[in-house]
Amino acid sequence: MIPGITTLAFAQHTETVLNKTIINKLFTCTLDKMLDTVAQKYHLNIVFERDSLSKFDVVEHFFEEPLKDVFDRVCSQNDLHYWIESDGTMYILQNTDDLDRLKKLNALKHLSQGKAKPSIEPVKGPPTHFLFSINGRVIDQSTGESLPSATVRVRNTQLSTSTNTDGNFTIFNIPSDTCVIEVSYSGYQPDDRRLDAKKINTTLVFGLFKSLNTLNEVTILGKKSGVMTTDTKKVGVLQLTPESLDKLPNLGEKDILRAFQLMPGVGATNESSSGAYVRGGTPDQNLVVFDGFTVYQVDHLYGFFSAFNSNAVKDVQLYKGGFSSVYGGRLSSVTEINGKDGNKNEASYGVDLSLLSLNMFASTPLNDKSSLLIAFRRSYQGPLYDKIFKQFNTSTVDAGPGGGGGPPGGGGFSESTTPASHFYDADARYNYKLDANNIFTWSVYTGEDKTDNSRALQLPSFISSGGSLNVTDYTKYGNLGSSVKWFRQWNKHIHSNTYITYSSYFNNRDNSTAGTTTDSNGDSETFENGTLETNNLKDIGFKSEWEWEISNKMKVLYGGFGNFQKINYDYIQNDTSTLISQHNQAFLGGGYIETEIDPNNKLHIQPGLRSTWFEPTGKVYLEPRFSASYVVNEHYTLKAATGQFYQFINEVTREDVVDGNRNFWVLSNNTNIPVSEARHYMAGASYENDQFLIDVEGYYKTLSGLTQYTESQSQITPGSTTNTIQQDFYNGTGRAKGIEVLVQKKLGRYTGWIGYTLADAENKFAVYGNSFYPADQDIRHEFKSINMYHYYRWNFAAVFIFSTGHPYTSPLSTYTITSVDGNTLTSYNVAKINSERLPDYHRLDLSATYDLLKLSSQKIGSIGLSLFNVYNHANIWYREYQVVNNQVITTNVKYLGFTPNITLSLRWK
Amino acid sequence: MEIKNNLLKVTFSLALAMLFLSCQKEDTGSTSVNLPVVDSYLIPGHPVIVKITQQKSLTDTAEYGKPITGLQVFVSDGTTNAQLTEASAGNYTYTDSSFLVTGKTYTLQFKYQLVTVSAKTVIPAKPVNFVVQYDTVTVSTSGTSANNTIDRLSWNNPGSLNYVLVFDCLDGSAFPANTFNADAKTSFEINTNAASYYNLTQRTFPYYGSYLVTLLSVNQEYINLLTSSTNSATSQNLSNVATNIVNGFGIFTAMQADTLKMEVNE
Repeated sequence: MIPGITTLAFAQHTETVLNKTIINKLFTCTLDKMLDTVAQKYHLNIVFERDSLSKFDVVEHFFEEPLKDVFDRVCSQNDLHYWIESDGTMYILQNTDDLDRLKKLNALKHLSQGKAKPSIEPVKGPPTHFLFSINGRVIDQSTGESLPSATVRVRNTQLSTSTNTDGNFTIFNIPSDTCVIEVSYSGYQPDDRRLDAKKINTTLVFGLFKSLNTLNEVTILGKKSGVMTTDTKKVGVLQLTPESLDKLPNLGEKDILRAFQLMPGVGATNESSSGAYVRGGTPDQNLVVFDGFTVYQVDHLYGFFSAFNSNAVKDVQLYKGGFSSVYGGRLSSVTEINGKDGNKNEASYGVDLSLLSLNMFASTPLNDKSSLLIAFRRSYQGPLYDKIFKQFNTSTVDAGPGGGGGPPGGGGFSESTTPASHFYDADARYNYKLDANNIFTWSVYTGEDKTDNSRALQLPSFISSGGSLNVTDYTKYGNLGSSVKWFRQWNKHIHSNTYITYSSYFNNRDNSTAGTTTDSNGDSETFENGTLETNNLKDIGFKSEWEWEISNKMKVLYGGFGNFQKINYDYIQNDTSTLISQHNQAFLGGGYIETEIDPNNKLHIQPGLRSTWFEPTGKVYLEPRFSASYVVNEHYTLKAATGQFYQFINEVTREDVVDGNRNFWVLSNNTNIPVSEARHYMAGASYENDQFLIDVEGYYKTLSGLTQYTESQSQITPGSTTNTIQQDFYNGTGRAKGIEVLVQKKLGRYTGWIGYTLADAENKFAVYGNSFYPADQDIRHEFKSINMYHYYRWNFAAVFIFSTGHPYTSPLSTYTITSVDGNTLTSYNVAKINSERLPDYHRLDLSATYDLLKLSSQKIGSIGLSLFNVYNHANIWYREYQVVNNQVITTNVKYLGFTPNITLSLRWK
Repeated sequence: MEIKNNLLKVTFSLALAMLFLSCQKEDTGSTSVNLPVVDSYLIPGHPVIVKITQQKSLTDTAEYGKPITGLQVFVSDGTTNAQLTEASAGNYTYTDSSFLVTGKTYTLQFKYQLVTVSAKTVIPAKPVNFVVQYDTVTVSTSGTSANNTIDRLSWNNPGSLNYVLVFDCLDGSAFPANTFNADAKTSFEINTNAASYYNLTQRTFPYYGSYLVTLLSVNQEYINLLTSSTNSATSQNLSNVATNIVNGFGIFTAMQADTLKMEVNE
């Protein structure tokens, strides 16, 4: 690796001076005088405000102490911080926010002295090379982590590009080898470097330094319209940097998928699912890819938290529709998550502790070629966990007037235990750099939710003369995924990523009783009964993704993939009767090609084609895709996208009010579960200036071959030993349309955005009639206001969310007939499906975060207080109906009320 | 200035969006609350009885809906169109016990609030060879081997037709067999899932005593009713219970029975 020469050298020089210079001196003066002395003697550029610092006196004898310790001591005594900028300048700060002012002061000082300090090397001689291409890599200087989506420009030209997910970039037709390359990335100090004849033949590595204050920038930006050049080329793309998530209110965990829900077009009111409801789609229509493998279970704790540990994640992109032919297999959207490589320079550790969980990570270089990152988190069963668990696990029924309701499904055997429940997940990533052109990465992710209510009982003597019961009652679900990635730079213009992936999902429930009894004769008997439900999915895959940069005007992406998926689902009762037994497997494979064409600086077009062969149907599915953008001028951009999308696997929900819904996956087949299909039509316009971004996008989608799962279990009568489950897969079509508006303030003490979505999602299933009805996820209006205010080391945030209520189905009346056993049978006359609306959903979340800083202004952690649903608004999740004493008792099952949380984050490195 | 311009554009887009989304349909189908409820089981050798009631409002605490009186109700076997007489409020009967014949199709028809309500059913064959393995069974008190088969009911069913078993404890709830389930009903029905036998376990019997066990040959419409009815439901899964009444709710079905007796002792 060839480090950056200019800025890097300056910053390192300052560090070296601080560490190597030994001071032996008695200072008895004001602080400004002392700094002047040090600056002059050791040739450091120290910038400070003389007025305020002249008030501090230094009376101190330094004896054989490094200059760094001197600064530490002086700053600590006077409640100051210092900060070394990448150009080597040292700033003395009373407040971190002073940096901007001091920087201007510094520039002014140099200007007045008529010797503007060169931040860049001068031209050494006349240019010798013309119209050549360069390639390079942008990394974080302190950790060696590559930085995707960083902007790379050639100064004073229209040439620019952005780095790919591996941090690499290529630029063609560079006018001469005296040009200056500028690199910028959100949250980092920009870097400029002049080319020369030697450099252009190497891989240029730009190591960026973190900026002191990333707080004045909006953490989540619509990438399409941010300051980066690719922004204008993409439709409906959201990008997020997990490191900044602590500035938003959180409920125990910094949550990647929840953060996306704050943007327009992503539903924010499903507290029971952190999966993405994107543009009228459902979470199972959103492809979640983590380091190349598909993740099938994206959340923990009944959907309240996403399954991804933000400490192990480098960046996340959400494609809201019309996405590239690189991705396939889902109808609605794609969430691509890239894990961190691990620190390549030095070991670093961190801990986050909240009322919900403990989260730890360690990241270290193993040798000069490899690095390792391990992250682990586990919930503990504190009050916050219990509160959320109860919210999603039991529903209490209000006693009806004149009679007790009783819990649903409750028998006469009542005995209360608190189930032991937790979730954990772990990430490991090993990165091995064979040489400059070959990098291998092995990534493992595993996570599990477990609820265990197992217990042992002694049988009361009136039932039996003795014996014991062991009740096994647990629910376990989770994921294991792993991938091996081989990155290869074949030459300056072609590189590839080849993956072997494995992903598995399981969801098991065991509710059985086993034990022994002793009868009056003293003979013991063992027995076992209950239900066992197991669902597991395995997905083994291979894919190879290639990028060929032909010129600045043309780039070709192509690749191939193959997956083998296998699903086993068994539902067994009393060891003998099998209620559900499904064993399906499928192979799918195919390829894609896409061309990115930029005929001029204004227009970008991106046609693509994806083709998939799906074994169960034996058919080839062709998916043409197209997107384009046009830069009208520096402020306005127009964009559009369309495409065809197929999905070969569906997630279905088995509803269980008492124990929580259970999700499982089913493969499409030739009979009752068709391959589903969607078409997207999207268009938008954006306006952007230094302060604001306004973005408007509209979409229309048609969907066909949708599958809905329903299940009815024959009524459990006292004597029935052979239950049956009637499973139905209903098929239908759907359509969704909407307009999204985003107004964002990007800079300043106050930042934030307003998002508004006007949308409509409808389904038509023959079983419910011949007309379209509102889909379960349909929301007409959704308004989000995200406000962040930065005040010195404090960050305050307020998030307000309002949305139209979800549609629901209600009973209109009841009727009663007599069944053949002489009992009454009361049924509901049900209104048209989803014809009613729950009350509007709204809530306000607040948070305050205090940054913990070292004297050198490096952030070492934060303390955060979050308040969820501050005014305790009762948002209704769904309604429950029960017939009690002939009348219908309606119970509102609510989402979470006011809930506070405290988070402490600490970082060592 | 630019922002102002832009806001104008946004407003314009929104207005477009409103147009784009404005074609909503408002049809809740709420007229269905006026449809009548039919409750009728045709059994050969018995008179035809059709009970017709109104639906109940959600807060109504009455067991059944209000009877609908003064209707002209007809049951036809294809040749005879018999008009039923209203024996009591909402209960319409036809007393000719030879009217119902195995294998014949019967059609119910009446007009209520200008809407023609109708339903159709076929009389299934009488169960054949309904026997129990042991007339008397003894159940242990331990309450643990609840799922072991202790007796077996069987009948002929070569065509995998639908049969329902009805158990009626003739001694009532005097001798509960299961302390966990103290409020169990003394009569209950079990769907046999088109089998030709049913294994009885200790769990089958909530009470000790004499049982009258009835095997009913039933039609699919009755099975549909049984399997789709639920006691509690949520707004996420609520759906109508199956009915074979056109422009109405409830059931109009035929069945035939065979019975036997058995003893369950402690």
